[in-house]
Amino acid sequence: MENLVIDGSTSSPRVDFDAARGHLLLSGESYPENSFEFYKPLLNWIRSFLEQSPQEVTLELRLAYLNTSSIKALMDLLDDLEEAHRAGRQVSVNWYYDEENDRALDLAEEFREDLTLPFFIIPTRIGV
Amino acid sequence: MGNLIDLRRSLSREGALICFNGSFSHSIIEELGKAVKHYLESQDLQKGATMDVFSVYIEATQNVRNYSTRADLAACGRSEAAEGIIVIGREGERHVVSSGNYVLSSDGPALAERLNRLQGLDKAGLKALYKEQMRRELPPGSQGAGLGLIDMARKASEPLEFSLTPDGVGLLFFSLRVVI
Repeated sequence: MENLVIDGSTSSPRVDFDAARGHLLLSGESYPENSFEFYKPLLNWIRSFLEQSPQEVTLELRLAYLNTSSIKALMDLLDDLEEAHRAGRQVSVNWYYDEENDRALDLAEEFREDLTLPFFIIPTRIGV
Repeated sequence: MGNLIDLRRSLSREGALICFNGSFSHSIIEELGKAVKHYLESQDLQKGATMDVFSVYIEATQNVRNYSTRADLAACGRSEAAEGIIVIGREGERHVVSSGNYVLSSDGPALAERLNRLQGLDKAGLKALYKEQMRRELPPGSQGAGLGLIDMARKASEPLEFSLTPDGVGLLFFSLRVVI
């Protein structure tokens, strides 16, 4: 399966989904012109990946800001990983946030409240 | 407009720091957003407070932009319907994000009802409504998640203030004020 790599911009995160390692990275800020269009290929990629490979998945999030439609799209993506986790797959989420940005921490905690998969919230000193 | 002094005075009186009036494109939202962030960072605000103002700015402008590009609004044939205004200002220690745009008269009652409901909720009630909306299936073709107003209300330090003013020729001007 091909990797999915999209360069970041001012309003959209860098995407680096590595199929061989099962490592999915989203990094930057997310308030694209149309969040659902932006996230749709990401959701499709993850769904195919989960169908084709039994591999362990790690989602690494380094998102300093998400607008509400990106939050909704990311929730949909996390729901797919949650389902895979409940079906017995090894799945984990590592959410890195700038320790000075407590709103990013609040946001991570709100996502975690709705999930049972391993979800680690990790402070970092430098801006994420 | 030969002399901008009156406009400038009235903006200063309102504590305006950054404002934009016209047609919002995504790149204008991005560029103005950078200016808002740089300004707030230069004010030595806590990072969380900066993020609250920035996020209300993004939700407000994207709401204006999404609404202004709707086909049923364009069908009314009024060019100003595609335009909006945003003002980011300061009142003492607080920041205020105000936005304005035209809406169809037929959308007025539902919008007023949503905002009246938000005004009556405390932080816990807003969070519950936010989570409920997050789980709602969206109609196909939705531009937004229907979360913007709830999110602004959660970030605000006072209930959202709004008005809907008939423009006399079939549209309403929707004005929203968010104090952070």
